Amino acid sequence: MQPALTRRGALGGAAALTLASCGGGDPPPTSGPRAGSGAGLLSSIVALEHAAIAAWAAIGEPLRGDARRYARIIRGREIDNAERVADLVRKLGGTPPQTRTAEDYARLFPRIGDEADALHFARDLEERLVRAYLEGLRLLPDADQRRVTSQIAADQAQDLAVVHALAGGPAAPQPFVTGTL
Amino acid sequence: MGAAVASLALSRSALAAEPADADQLARLLALERSLAAAYEAALARDAIEPALGKLLLGHEREHVRGLEQTLGRRAPAQADTPQIALDFANRRTFAHSALELERTTVDTYRDVLTTFHNDRLLQPLGSIMACGAQHEVALRRVLGEDLL
Repeated sequence: MQPALTRRGALGGAAALTLASCGGGDPPPTSGPRAGSGAGLLSSIVALEHAAIAAWAAIGEPLRGDARRYARIIRGREIDNAERVADLVRKLGGTPPQTRTAEDYARLFPRIGDEADALHFARDLEERLVRAYLEGLRLLPDADQRRVTSQIAADQAQDLAVVHALAGGPAAPQPFVTGTL
Repeated sequence: MGAAVASLALSRSALAAEPADADQLARLLALERSLAAAYEAALARDAIEPALGKLLLGHEREHVRGLEQTLGRRAPAQADTPQIALDFANRRTFAHSALELERTTVDTYRDVLTTFHNDRLLQPLGSIMACGAQHEVALRRVLGEDLL
């Protein structure tokens, strides 16, 4: 049977693609950290967090009431996360990637027409962030790096839980929160 | 879901070479068993809304199963008694005490993940920790507190 392509499905697919490009398009550090230090991966996460900060500003626009308030709170948490991971890059002697302009990011995001679109994009975004930090846990070599990434992974899972709740579902729908690529 | 359990179980042989990791997993298993017992008792005493209680209990049972499979014969027969007193007097008091136990469990996962040796288990353990973090949000929702 031919699978049906829904508007929501298309939006989710587009979001995954655009977020992948946000996180992976920045060049790795060219000098400073040694190979295998984790600096490249951490820099990719910083780039993804910069995109997430811009995304949450866009997500908040059509939201109202509590949903809008949580969008602001989560955006603030992403700003803190970006800074914490950027600090790890600096500790390795690297230079974390700079943020792009809001217009650069806006071009990459899916069109958000209403609250449902916004929450759908938010879910895809947070799933990707959870996955990025869990991958970081597996790949980063240093205990301090793992400590920070495990803390942020738990925070991202909670942000995702809030998105689930705002969309009207259970906050914790699955026993294993793996995120998606 | 199945893949995460499989990832845990597949790493059992590697675990044999890391006794310190097995001790850490036993700590986590004790906490997960406590959570499962807590939700089971709360359901029996109507101290949690049934749909939420069944959902959270189901998750805890999956976590227990994954950790027991990973530990194999090294899994302790009984859970240690948690240092958190659970209050089943009503749904609100239970949610408060369950939230505290979930927080303790997530903090323990973070502690374990920082020093764990077996790289293959880090991601599956992280996915359980992330679920526990989401349980905190679910319980704060019951309490009418800010979700974050």
